[in-house]
Amino acid sequence: MLTAHAAAFQINGKTLVSDIDMAIPPGKLVALVGPNGAGKSTLLKLLSGEIKPTSGAITLDGRALSSFTALDLSRRRAVVPQSTALSFPFSVREVVLLGATVPGFAEPPEHIERMALDCLRTVGLLALEHRLFTNLSGGERQRVHIARALLQLAMAKRAENEPGILLLDEPTASLDLAHQGVVLEEALEQARKGLAVMAILHDLNLAAVFADELVLLSAGRITARGTPAEVLKDDVLSRAYGCEVRTNRTPSEGVPFILPHYIRAR
Amino acid sequence: MFRSYLIRTCASSLLLAAGVAMSATSTLAEQLIVDGSGRDVKVTDTSRILSVGGDVTEILYALRADDKIIAIDSTSQFPGDALQKKTDVGYLRALSAEGVLSTNPSVIIASSDAGPPPVIEVLKSSSVPYVMVPDDKTPEGVANKIRFIAKVVGLEAAGEALAKDVERDFALLAEQRAKITKPKRALFVLSVQSGKATIGGAGTGADAMIQLAGAVNAGASVPGYKPMTDESGVELAPDAILTMQHGGGGMHSDRIKTVPSLAGSPAMKNGEIIEMNGLYLLGFGPRCARAARELMAALYPELVQKKASAAE
Amino acid sequence: MTSEAIPLSGSRAGKTHRMSAAQVIIGSAVLLAVAIVASLSLGPTGITLSSLPRALSAAISGTTDATIAREQLVLLDIRLPRTLLGIFVGASLAIAGAIMQGLFRNPLADPGLVGVSSGAALFAVATIVLGNGIAAPILAPLGIYALPVAAFFGGMVTTLILVTIAGRHGQLMIGTLLLAGIALGALSGALTGLLAYASDDRQLRDLTFWSMGSLGGANWPKILAVLPFGILIALLTPLLIRGLNGFLLGEAEAFHLGINVERTKRIAIVATAASVGAAVAMAGVIGFIGIVVPHIIRLLAGPDHRVVLPGSALFGAALLLFADIIARLIVRPAELPIGIVMAAIGTPVFLHLVMKRGIGGSE
Repeated sequence: MLTAHAAAFQINGKTLVSDIDMAIPPGKLVALVGPNGAGKSTLLKLLSGEIKPTSGAITLDGRALSSFTALDLSRRRAVVPQSTALSFPFSVREVVLLGATVPGFAEPPEHIERMALDCLRTVGLLALEHRLFTNLSGGERQRVHIARALLQLAMAKRAENEPGILLLDEPTASLDLAHQGVVLEEALEQARKGLAVMAILHDLNLAAVFADELVLLSAGRITARGTPAEVLKDDVLSRAYGCEVRTNRTPSEGVPFILPHYIRAR
Repeated sequence: MFRSYLIRTCASSLLLAAGVAMSATSTLAEQLIVDGSGRDVKVTDTSRILSVGGDVTEILYALRADDKIIAIDSTSQFPGDALQKKTDVGYLRALSAEGVLSTNPSVIIASSDAGPPPVIEVLKSSSVPYVMVPDDKTPEGVANKIRFIAKVVGLEAAGEALAKDVERDFALLAEQRAKITKPKRALFVLSVQSGKATIGGAGTGADAMIQLAGAVNAGASVPGYKPMTDESGVELAPDAILTMQHGGGGMHSDRIKTVPSLAGSPAMKNGEIIEMNGLYLLGFGPRCARAARELMAALYPELVQKKASAAE
Repeated sequence: MTSEAIPLSGSRAGKTHRMSAAQVIIGSAVLLAVAIVASLSLGPTGITLSSLPRALSAAISGTTDATIAREQLVLLDIRLPRTLLGIFVGASLAIAGAIMQGLFRNPLADPGLVGVSSGAALFAVATIVLGNGIAAPILAPLGIYALPVAAFFGGMVTTLILVTIAGRHGQLMIGTLLLAGIALGALSGALTGLLAYASDDRQLRDLTFWSMGSLGGANWPKILAVLPFGILIALLTPLLIRGLNGFLLGEAEAFHLGINVERTKRIAIVATAASVGAAVAMAGVIGFIGIVVPHIIRLLAGPDHRVVLPGSALFGAALLLFADIIARLIVRPAELPIGIVMAAIGTPVFLHLVMKRGIGGSE
C-alpha cells in the first residue's frame, strides 16, 4: 500500500506540505480536495515519487519510495498528468503505446498492440485509434492518457499482493458535465477492479458522488479525512476554504452537495 | 587613380601583344626543383600549367608563358584577360582536389597561400608535380620569386631579365625613399564593418608596402590584420590612410569616413585617403616596386616626380 | 462508457497517413545506396565507377600507368574518403538533431540553432590557435584526435549549460532554451572572434574553413579520426530510443513511465556532443541537416524514435551526400561551400516547419 508518514516538503525555506499521514488503499478511489495552493499537486508528486519528502517518508508496501528505481516504480503506479502538451504529432494509438515503453519492452509487439486496443476500448476511444492526438478535444486527450496509464499498469508483471496504483491530477479539469462523469466512472471502475486510485478533484460535488474517501488539504496540511459525509461539513469546509460554505444533501441518497448559489446568498 | 588605371591598361596591352607575338614553347628536360616548402619536386612537362595565386599568374604572364597556363585561381585578376580566358578553379584558399585535377594540369605552380591544407596534401600525393612558390614580402623576395617561377617553366633568361628590371625598380625606389626627410605615418585599412576598421599590422603585406613607400606603418603595434578598437584608432593618428579599391569605386573611402576614431586624424582632416587596386598593392608580383612608387607619389607628391618605370 | 463520448466517428479529419517504419527505413537505405554510388561516380574529372576495379588492383599491386594512377587517386583517395566522411557527418548531424529535439521536446531544437555547433567550433578553433602554444602539452599527445576530442568537449559543455539553464525548474523551458542557445551561440562566436584576433594568418585560414563547412578536406586520416566517434554514437543511440520516446510526453511523465531520466539525459548529451563535435571538427559548421532530416522522417513515419533515429541517420547521410555532389559539380572545377547548398535545401523546409507548427511546436 502507498502510504505517507508525517511527510513534508520544503523548497527555498517554504513549506508546501507538512504532517501528511495518509494511505491509498487498493480497491478504493481517494479524492484529494482543497483550495488552490493547498499543496495538492505537491502531494501527488510526493506520492508518485517524482519528488522526495524533505522530512517524513512515503512508503510502498513498507519500503521507502525513494529506494525504488524508476523502472520498479513504473511497474506499480501510473500517473495521468493534468495536461500534457505534445510537441510531435503522435496518433492516439501511439500515445497509448507509450504506456508500454518500459514495462512492456520485452513483450511481443502483437501482445502489446492487443492490450493497447483493450485499454482504448476501456475508455471508449477505440474509434479514434488512428486520429492525431493533437486534434483531439480536452476530454478525449484526458481519456487517451488514462488509457496510456492503464496500459502501463496492465503490461507490468506484478504479483497478486502488489496491486497497481493510479494517480490522476485533476482528470476532470476543463471537461463538461458528461465527460466528467465518464472519466470518474472509469476511475471508480478501475478501483473496483483492484487498483488503488487517487484523483485530485476541484469539484466537491463530483468528489462526493464518486470518491470512497476524501482527503481535504488546506495550507499544506490535511484538515479532514474520511467519507464524503464525514468531510463535507459546513464548518470543516468553511475553515479550509476561508469562506462560508453550506452543504446540503440529496433527498433520496443523502449525498452531500454544495451549491455556489448559497455562498452568494450569504 | 586614373594614373594607376593608365599604367595597368598600358602594361596589360603590352603584355598581351607580347604574349601573342611569342610562340616558342621550349620542350623541357626533366628537372628537380626544391620548392618553397623545401620539397623536392620533379617537373617534366610545363605545357599545361595550373597557376594558383595572383602574383604567380602575373609573373607567368610577364614571362610570356601565358599560353601554357590552362587554369588559374580566382585571385588571378591581372592581367584582366586571365580570368576571362583561363579556367577558374576557385578561391585559392578553398581549392577542390578533384576540381583541380579535372583541369588536367601537367604542373601546379601555387602560392603558399593555397589551401585548405588537406586538399594540398592530396594534390601533393598525386602524380602531378605541385610546386609551392617561396614567398617573402621583400624586394629580394619578389626577384627570387620571379627567378624561381622562371626556372620551373624553363624560361630562366626571361626570368633573369624581369628580375633585373624589378631589382632596378626597387633600387630606384630606394633612392627616392632616401630623400624622404619626414616620414609620414600611414595606416592600411583592409575593411570597415559597421564603423569598425580592420587594419594591417606588423608582418602584413600592407606593412611591407608602407615601408617600401617610405612611410611608417601607424598600425605596426599589432601583428597581422586585426580589428582596431575605437580608442587605439585615436591614438594611431595616421597622416594618411591606405585602402583597396572596391568594385564600385569610391565606396571604400566613404566607409572609412564612418569610422569615428579616425575622424579626428590628420589623414581625414587633410583628405589623405589613398585607394589602390588590391592585387597591385599587395600582390608582390612584378609590379610591386611600381605600386610602391605610386604609393610614395601619393604620400609625398612634392618629393617624387612621376617618371616612367624602368620596366616599361 | 456512454455513447456520446465517441464524437466525430464519421469524420476522417486528422487521421494519420503514414508510411510504416519498414518502408521508411528501407526507403532511406535505398536512397543512401544511390547517394553513395553517385558520390563515388560523379566528379569534375569525369572518372566513373567503372574504373574502380582497375583502381583497386592498382592500389594493391601498384601501377606505372599515369591514367590508372590518376583514377586510383581520384576514386580511392579523394572520392571514397569524401563519401565516407559525408556519410558520417550527415548521419551524425541528423542523429544529433533528432536527439536534441527529443530531449528538449521541440522540433526546432537543432545543434546549430541552440549553439552546440558554435561551442564545438569554438573548441576546435581554440585547438588550432592554441595547439602549438599553451595547450600543446594536452593536445599534442592526442594527435589526429585532438581536434574532434576538443570539439566534442565544446559541444558537451554547451549542451550541459543549456540543460542546466533551460531545465532549472525541473522541466525544460522551451523559450528559455532557445534564448539561452542563441546567447551561447553568440558567446561562442565572440570567443571564436577573440581567438581569431590572437591567431596568425595561416591559422586564420583554417578558421574560415569552419564557418563555411565543407567535405573538401576529406582524407583517410580524418576518417580514422572520426571512427571511434562513429562507434561511440552507434553504441549510445540505441540506448536512447525508449528514453526519448518517454520524453516526448514530458520529463515527469517519462519518469512515471519508468525511464531513468537522468541517465537518459546524460547519454543524450554525450551522444549529441560526440556527433556534433566530430562532425564539426571534420567538416565545419553545416546547418539545417539536424532540423530538416528528423522533421521529414517524423512527417513520414511519426515521432517514434525507433524509426526517427535510424531513419534520420540513413536519410541524413544520403541528403548530405547529394548536397555535396551538387557542391562539387555546380561551379566545377571550383566548389561551393556545402553550407550554402544545405541552406538552399534546408531553408524552405525550415520555414515550412515554423509556419505550419509555430515556434512552440504544438498545434
